[in-house]
Amino acid sequence: MRTLTYVTALDASAGALMLCAVLLVWRRDLAALVRLLSVQGLALALIPITLGAHQRDGELVAVGIGVLVLRAAILPGVVARVLRGEPRPRETQPLLNTSASLLAVAALTVLAYAVSRPVVTLDPTPATHAAPLAIAVVLVGIFMLVTRRRAMSQVVGFLMLDNGIAALAFLTTAGVPMVVELGASLDVLLAVLVLQILSGRMRVKFGGTDLDELRELRD
Amino acid sequence: MSAVASANRSRASPGHRSVTAPTVAAVLAVVSLASCGFVLIVPVRARAAVSGISTALVGALAVCLGATTLASGFGPVRLGWLLPLSGTVFGGDATSALFTIVTGAVAIAAGWFSIGYSRNACLPAAALAALPLFVSSMALVPFAASVSTFLLLWESMALASLVLVLAEHHERSTREAGVIYAVMTELGFAAILLGLVIFAASAHSETFAAMSSAQLPGAARGVIFVVTVVGFGSKAGLVPLHPWLPHAHPAAPSPVSALMSAAMVNLGIYGLVRVDIQLLGPGPAWWGLLLLIVGAVTAVYAVLQASVATDLKRLLAYSTSENMGLITLALGAAMLLGASGSRAVALVAMTAALLHLINHAAFKTLAFLAAGSVVSATGVRDLDELGGLAGAMPVTSTMFGVAALGATGLPLGAGFVSEWLLLQSLIHTPPAGGTTLALAMPLAVGAVALTAGLAVATMVKAFGIGFLARPRSAAASTAREVSPTMVVAMLLPAVACAVLAVAPIVAAPLLRDAVGEFAKLNAPAGASAMPSLGLLLRLPGIIGSMSPALLAISFVVAVLLATGVSYSKQAGRRRPRTAQLWASGSGRLTPRMQYTATSFAEPLQRVFDDILRPDIDIDVTHHAESRYLVEKVRYQASIGDAVEAHVYVPLLRGLTRWANVVRRAHAGSVHAYLGYGAAGLLVALVVAR
Amino acid sequence: MSGATAIGTVGAVVQVGAVAVGAPLLAGMMRQVRARLEGRRGAGVLQPWRDLRKLVGKERIRPEGTTVVFAAAPAVLAGTVLAIAAIVPVVTANSPLDSVGDLFAVVGLLLLGTVALALAGLDTGTAFGGMGASRAITIAALVEPTVLLAIFALSVPAHSSNLGAIVTTAAVHPGSVATPAAALAFAALCIVVIAETGRLPIDNPTTHLELTMIHEASTLEYAGPQLALVEWASMMRLTVLLALLANLFLPLGIATVDSGVAGLVGGVVVVIVKVTVLAIVLAGAEVFMAKLRLFRVPELLAGSFVLGLLAVTISYFLTTPAT
Repeated sequence: MRTLTYVTALDASAGALMLCAVLLVWRRDLAALVRLLSVQGLALALIPITLGAHQRDGELVAVGIGVLVLRAAILPGVVARVLRGEPRPRETQPLLNTSASLLAVAALTVLAYAVSRPVVTLDPTPATHAAPLAIAVVLVGIFMLVTRRRAMSQVVGFLMLDNGIAALAFLTTAGVPMVVELGASLDVLLAVLVLQILSGRMRVKFGGTDLDELRELRD
Repeated sequence: MSAVASANRSRASPGHRSVTAPTVAAVLAVVSLASCGFVLIVPVRARAAVSGISTALVGALAVCLGATTLASGFGPVRLGWLLPLSGTVFGGDATSALFTIVTGAVAIAAGWFSIGYSRNACLPAAALAALPLFVSSMALVPFAASVSTFLLLWESMALASLVLVLAEHHERSTREAGVIYAVMTELGFAAILLGLVIFAASAHSETFAAMSSAQLPGAARGVIFVVTVVGFGSKAGLVPLHPWLPHAHPAAPSPVSALMSAAMVNLGIYGLVRVDIQLLGPGPAWWGLLLLIVGAVTAVYAVLQASVATDLKRLLAYSTSENMGLITLALGAAMLLGASGSRAVALVAMTAALLHLINHAAFKTLAFLAAGSVVSATGVRDLDELGGLAGAMPVTSTMFGVAALGATGLPLGAGFVSEWLLLQSLIHTPPAGGTTLALAMPLAVGAVALTAGLAVATMVKAFGIGFLARPRSAAASTAREVSPTMVVAMLLPAVACAVLAVAPIVAAPLLRDAVGEFAKLNAPAGASAMPSLGLLLRLPGIIGSMSPALLAISFVVAVLLATGVSYSKQAGRRRPRTAQLWASGSGRLTPRMQYTATSFAEPLQRVFDDILRPDIDIDVTHHAESRYLVEKVRYQASIGDAVEAHVYVPLLRGLTRWANVVRRAHAGSVHAYLGYGAAGLLVALVVAR
Repeated sequence: MSGATAIGTVGAVVQVGAVAVGAPLLAGMMRQVRARLEGRRGAGVLQPWRDLRKLVGKERIRPEGTTVVFAAAPAVLAGTVLAIAAIVPVVTANSPLDSVGDLFAVVGLLLLGTVALALAGLDTGTAFGGMGASRAITIAALVEPTVLLAIFALSVPAHSSNLGAIVTTAAVHPGSVATPAAALAFAALCIVVIAETGRLPIDNPTTHLELTMIHEASTLEYAGPQLALVEWASMMRLTVLLALLANLFLPLGIATVDSGVAGLVGGVVVVIVKVTVLAIVLAGAEVFMAKLRLFRVPELLAGSFVLGLLAVTISYFLTTPAT
């Protein structure tokens, strides 16, 4: 693959990743969130495919295809299945309103760039130049986990967090072996399944999944 | 195991095809793992026998391992596959061999004993399977030659022992004891981990060989010393880290108590010897002084608690703590004397410490096995309810008598020679040793003497009240002698006690090289000889000698002479006539008129009231008609562990109070919890940039 | 066998015999002194001998419910004292058993005898037996620190705890006995001897009230030959300890390595004189003393412990410049 195409493709996928993250924070409709999640998964999958095509590494391309299937199709599909049972498919008022959330995302992106400067200076390749974006996605995912009220939103935030971690792994390491990716993905799949079951139980027991109503988790 | 094979090939001399130590170690590990699995497979009826026999077999292999190490050494063997990241390194010297042989010998007796005991007590399969694993990990700990190997084996020993302590977990007191034991063992492990990790980091290597030759700054050495003394001291049962001993030993089944008291606490001493004396090298005088003080306080406090304890196994547990205190005192004296230049006397103290370890293993095993027989036959552990067992269980009573004699440190007992060596090392302080030595040694002698006196009181109480006179309860009166396997198991440590009492030379091959290694530390070039333990014990460089064997012979001759005098007249030679005992004219004696263990120890309890702080509750009910007439009086006294009640309970209360304050941060909101996590992550990112 | 060892062996045999034969005489003399001081006629110096002979001729009694421990304890007690009599320098400082047992071994044997009697007391299963055993063991345990510290103090000038070495050093350097450390050690050892032999003010050997007995309570159930052994052993214990006390601090006249048979005879005579003097002093003092309450005894023993500790520390700080 020609270098320019390679760099463009890499930057485009990382940019798409970040854009999806911002949109996930902006939109409140849960169904839209799921669709954005699958787009983000597609953007994520493009990173290892690009890297694999550039380095002529078949295994990396195969991993990329696996990531595509998992994070763009299976995981959003599972979350969508849960949403079908939701009575109110819209996020209630989050802890921070939308403008404040977007400002926070901007601040976190700046922080991500500041934090990852040593990583970039250590090995300045096109891949590592995109690493700050991956770190920013991680931080945004954590932010979403902390500030959303509905359990489903928190699941989406968790998946975005994991997308960011996977992107960071692909960008900064010399390649993620199939075994590691498989293991990590299995973890995530299991987590989501558990969350699905738990949401179902929560809905049955409490008639909704608003986490602010659950305050018994203490001594 | 290519590493093992290459080590074998490199060391075996041409034409010499004998068994080498690493092979024995490998066989030991394999046999213990196999028997663990085997126990779980066989039918319930055979489980106890399989577990006991395999434990005894593992013990025998441990003795072989020690013997082959003494004969041909155990060079470092590296097994990279056992632990990820760091690999494991095994290696040992004479000190390792000494501890492993002691462990193995105790395991043979305890294992054989548990064949009959476990069958009677119906112990669960998990405990029976853990028994051989416990013995093998104890046997291999002295052969760990790197920090990660040591910690791996130490923790596996701790976990196996926890499973065994909780063997009879249907009783609430056993569960509580298990919790206390688990917490204290893990805290001790944390301290050892901390100390060894600091050591390895400062020495830039984790193998013991490299660590012993590293030059560390003085402050680091001091910190490592204190932290490892805390960790190893808690395993050895030194005050104030001892409260787990009086809880765990009575809760565990008797063969396990024997293993814990006579083999596991030794490994605390092993840690002190290996890490603090050998690896850290000769240190400043305050190290020896610290060990001396800790040992003296432990010995006196523990024997005091033993003298007022009425539970037989709790008494023996405190006696273990006392003996470990004496050994630590001897180690401290050896370090102190070595630091002040009197090498010959330091060697005597070191010999005393190691010999006392061996003697203690012999008589404590025997005592716990005999106590196990009593518990098995009567179901009762309380001395106030025992008694009169000498008629129904003559063999067990004799065995306990031999063990009690050893524990008192009197002549003809197993503990006399080591106590004599210790006292000799303490009284031969050099006049130029400085004020510290001049003040510490007399106080140490006083502590040892008080310990010896109280130990005599304790053992007279245990043997006299528990086994002599008449039974104080129905359970004791229906006792019968235990099964032949249990009796045979008690014979091995009994023979060891008898031999060690009169011929300590059998322990000389074990001690010679171990003490020699200590001598090399202080004077690499000088030739200092160990005390000779032949027929006449001689102390090189000191005027002092004693012969336990000849003493025993003269004593026996004197007793025969006295008996001859009493039989000199015709009337004395006839069969004795049975007569009634004096009951102050009130008719027949009842068992209730006898002294109990509590009443026997009451004068001591009064004298040491401030240290023991008994809990006394007197409830007087007066007559309805008049306050001057008493209808009934209820008296209840209990003596708990004073350190536990006055140090640990307030500490735990303080921790709980602090935890309640922190609890306010648990608002119940999921968002708050996630927020804490995120904040932590941000802080970490910023700080660790 | 060399000449010195032969003389030493003969000396050891002579001293065992002297102690065995002389102990009842000593006890009789002490009782006679007390009797005279109290204004009584007394039973005569030979009375203990007559009592022992009578007891040995009586039949043996076995109280019901007792075990072999009760039956064997008198012989064990007497055996320990006879063994001590052979080791300790009574007549000669050159006993062949001197290297077999040092002062620590002697103390251990004494304690072994006390333990045997205490176990016998517990074995009877009576309240008095238990009481006597409990008290005797408490006192023995509390006097241990004093004993060992006194031995420590004595061993400092001789650099050894073997009795022959201590006595020979004291004989060769009489000045070492006149130090304050030695005086304190002597005071401590006097209290030790009183505690170990059960004399006033710690125990009253002539009491008839069971509640005030310590040593007597353990022997309440003994009769016949066994009682003879017990009584004889306690008399021998007193004799041996008084002889030891005398020879440790005033070894004048004791037979040493280079004394011949004349030295032995001289040693016997001298020790008889020394022990008699000490016994008369002890008996006389007892007339003017009352027995201490049992729970005041630990205070006395703590005081003797402090004396012993002072003896040791003083001997360090005073010998340091010289050595």
